Amino acid sequence: MIVDKLFELVSYRVHPEPHIVVNHNVCQSCTHRACTFACPAHCYQWNPAKERIDFVYDACLECGTCLIICDQGALEWHYPKDGFGVHFRLT
Amino acid sequence: MKNNFDVIVVGAGPAGTTAALRMAQKGLQVLLLERGEVPGAKNMFGGVLCNCPVLNEFFPNFWNHAPWERYVVKRIVTFMVPESSTSLVFETENFDRPPYNGYSLLRPVFDKWYAEKAQEAGAKLVCGCTVEDVLQNGKAVTGVRVAREAGDVQAKVVIAADGVLSFLAQKAGLRKEFAPSQMALGIKALFRLKEEWINERFNVVRRQGVSQEFIGCTQGIRGGGFIYTQTDSLSVGLVLHLDSLKKSSIAPYELFESFISAFPVRRLLKGGQLLEYSAHLLPEGGYRMVPRLFTDGMIVAGDAAALCYTNGLTQEGMNLAITSGFLAAETVIEAFNKGDFSGRQLSGYERRLQESFVLKDMKTFKKTADLMYVDRLFSVYPALVGAIMEQIFRSDGKPRKKIGPIAWQTLKGSVKMRQFISDIIKGGRSLIK
Repeated sequence: MIVDKLFELVSYRVHPEPHIVVNHNVCQSCTHRACTFACPAHCYQWNPAKERIDFVYDACLECGTCLIICDQGALEWHYPKDGFGVHFRLT
Repeated sequence: MKNNFDVIVVGAGPAGTTAALRMAQKGLQVLLLERGEVPGAKNMFGGVLCNCPVLNEFFPNFWNHAPWERYVVKRIVTFMVPESSTSLVFETENFDRPPYNGYSLLRPVFDKWYAEKAQEAGAKLVCGCTVEDVLQNGKAVTGVRVAREAGDVQAKVVIAADGVLSFLAQKAGLRKEFAPSQMALGIKALFRLKEEWINERFNVVRRQGVSQEFIGCTQGIRGGGFIYTQTDSLSVGLVLHLDSLKKSSIAPYELFESFISAFPVRRLLKGGQLLEYSAHLLPEGGYRMVPRLFTDGMIVAGDAAALCYTNGLTQEGMNLAITSGFLAAETVIEAFNKGDFSGRQLSGYERRLQESFVLKDMKTFKKTADLMYVDRLFSVYPALVGAIMEQIFRSDGKPRKKIGPIAWQTLKGSVKMRQFISDIIKGGRSLIK
């Protein structure tokens, strides 16, 4: 699978604080969980044990897909500060 | 950082840098803010800058100066189904000489070069600087707040060229919340391939390049695929309407995997080395999505103003961004001459855009946005094309039919006549008249 390699090739400078915060209380009532498949960096995963969304911001490509498709208003969404986050070299 | 400028431009992409360059040339004190570590670090596009006369105005014989990769002489549209593909290929000698019709390029390289030109003209570029808010006096925009200590910076005018998600336009009350139907997700991977392999596989020489778009490769999700040639790399990716993606339960990278595994794509990529993966949103709502373009003390340009369109055959964005940045600059220069920064004065920006190809083209293809919402265009029709072509060419010892009956039989089996006629009318209104 090429998919795993795709993610490995992205450069980041990860800020210690997340730039997107998921409000788990709000997203608990979501029925489609579109973020778990639509995010192109696979940052959102459903955790069946905890019965909630696990979110990892390190791999975020800052595209905004999650912000646009989330209809629960569960995201506090900002761009990373001070030049942190994804760093495209060639694209 | 000084906390007072004539103009603050937010975003060192094509729109922002153009505006900053022009205004600095005319002697204004310009602050150009970029949230990436360098200009281009956050920017991504499919792969082609369409010929843009503004660039030639800045740099006569622009193609001799800018860091582009290949010029596009060949355009290919491919209807794809899992087992076959049908392509329409257009190539012309007329695109084989300057001014070339379009250029493939790498954004971190081009955007950095372009921003350096703005700096040379006198604009102050600050990178790694995220703008958090607009400063307002009543409704009038008077500056921005950046994510730094003592981060308030004042200016007579702010140009919001902060990209597709433009939080600035929203904070200034110029746009509403986005709907998924107005946006598309673009994902792309860059593959390194030997220059001579690219020349052989695409049948080009020198710095000639190819753009190829694919329809029918998205498992029914509204969108398409693309391949653009750079000097020694290929940009390969997909564009997916967000509302359609949201309903699909398919991950974009899984679609990508199946796209690059399909035989017409696989052959082109053979031996290629994966270099980088990226994703970005595109404004996909067409003319109806364009927000209010100005207010007291502020102008919106480029993707932030949703100046981007596709009509199914051409896809333009970067040239519209550059032109809008230029017209924003002209408007601000005039505002300084008059000493008036009100919305009424800045409305000259909208008038200039209306008179230019930017809003004219977006209006011309206003109804094309409707065509792009026909699901069948991305599933049923590519399959139809494949089925019809195969029957036309298949030799199997059975009597042949003429094209009419073949098309009729195939069509009848896969789409209701009423729907077909409605789609033809939509297609006609979009592209023909």
